[in-house]
Amino acid sequence: MEVQLKNDKSKFKSTEVEKAIPLEYDLGNLAAFDTNPIDPKALKKGKDDFLKQLTRDNAQLIMNAIFNLPTKSSEDGVFATLPEPTTVIPREKPVPKEKILTRWEKFAKAKGIQKKKRSRFEYDEETGEYKARYGYDHTKNKEEIPEDWLIEVPKNADPMEDQYEKRANEKKERIESNKKRQKRNQEEAEAIRKNINPREARKQELLNKSLIAKTSTASLGRFDKKLKNEPKVKNQGIRKHRDSNTGDMKAEKEKTLEILEKTIEKKK
Amino acid sequence: MRPLTEEETKVFFQKLAQYIGRNIVHLINRPDDTYCFRLHNNRVYYVSESIMKKATCIGRDQLLSLGVCFGKFTKTGKFRLHITALDYLAQYAKYKIWVKPNGEMPFMYGNHVLKAHLGRITEDTPEHQGAIIYSMNDIPLGFGVTARSTSDCRKLDPTGIVVFHQADIGEYLRGEETLL
Repeated sequence: MEVQLKNDKSKFKSTEVEKAIPLEYDLGNLAAFDTNPIDPKALKKGKDDFLKQLTRDNAQLIMNAIFNLPTKSSEDGVFATLPEPTTVIPREKPVPKEKILTRWEKFAKAKGIQKKKRSRFEYDEETGEYKARYGYDHTKNKEEIPEDWLIEVPKNADPMEDQYEKRANEKKERIESNKKRQKRNQEEAEAIRKNINPREARKQELLNKSLIAKTSTASLGRFDKKLKNEPKVKNQGIRKHRDSNTGDMKAEKEKTLEILEKTIEKKK
Repeated sequence: MRPLTEEETKVFFQKLAQYIGRNIVHLINRPDDTYCFRLHNNRVYYVSESIMKKATCIGRDQLLSLGVCFGKFTKTGKFRLHITALDYLAQYAKYKIWVKPNGEMPFMYGNHVLKAHLGRITEDTPEHQGAIIYSMNDIPLGFGVTARSTSDCRKLDPTGIVVFHQADIGEYLRGEETLL
């Protein structure tokens, strides 16, 4: 028995490798760093053999280290649990920015409300078939009587009111208000991205708009009714100022001479 | 009609100074009457104050011309002198070029002045300098930009260009409808 073991041992290389400086391991990345100096004489003798030997030794050391790790066995086999990687590897792309939550998402997070996936197909008890809730193929039978062929008039409601029209109007309003909310969410996200308080941003925008509105009349707001303590608006437009055609001729002459001096001096 | 802005005045004077240099002062400071430059339809007019004041009562669309048109501003904001300014340019010219009688007609048809037609030239005329062109009996024919300095002209062969044509009095006939 012992003889056979010895024979086997001589066939394979030893799993024990000796190094002057022990390797640095980063097993999370399955990497090891060999800081030992290379022997130049051995390298010159046989480059290929030397590099092969070095690689084998270091690979053996990594394998040893991996086999020393705690293991977990499952149906598929035995697995070593790797530690957290220590070497920082640079990213190619920037870290993705965190998405700014909408008001509803914030509320749902606080309340712990989770989004439920609603299947697109729905079991139809009457026909005993699966039917699409909406979109393509949701009305297989075009001649089928619609579900709301009759709407009950609620109590206390005006009997002459068109319930279909009411329903359509309500939907329109819902869409409108949802659009408003979407716009508000986008504006708030924009403000947060610029590191401004959304409320302040909204205030500033309103202020700017009111300033524009104030000077949007033909008289630039001079004859408008003033509020109490209304802040004064400076005229923000730039007006081109042209000299008078028949103004002070002496002053004009002097000005022209001055410009002449400037231009001729510059040329020299 | 309005006075020129500072920027416009600068551009205008730079072009004018190429031909008459410092003598622009004499255009502004005149002993007889106050004269001024006015812009109308992108053209610069040199007018006496009294005529300018009379012209103010004519509407912008109705006013065709007043005083002497010196030239116009191009749409890129450069200034271009017109032949109508020749009277004043010739009066105060710094650099003059006289053309032989056989060169008068070619120049007045809008061609450049050749060495063969060159009669006389002001001493020390530099290259690329505005110059007024006269006939041998001192009648101003137009103006142009020198292609060579006086010293270089001597070595030039007879067919070489001495002055690049800018404007000539032939334009009074050729451009009758556009001149103001």
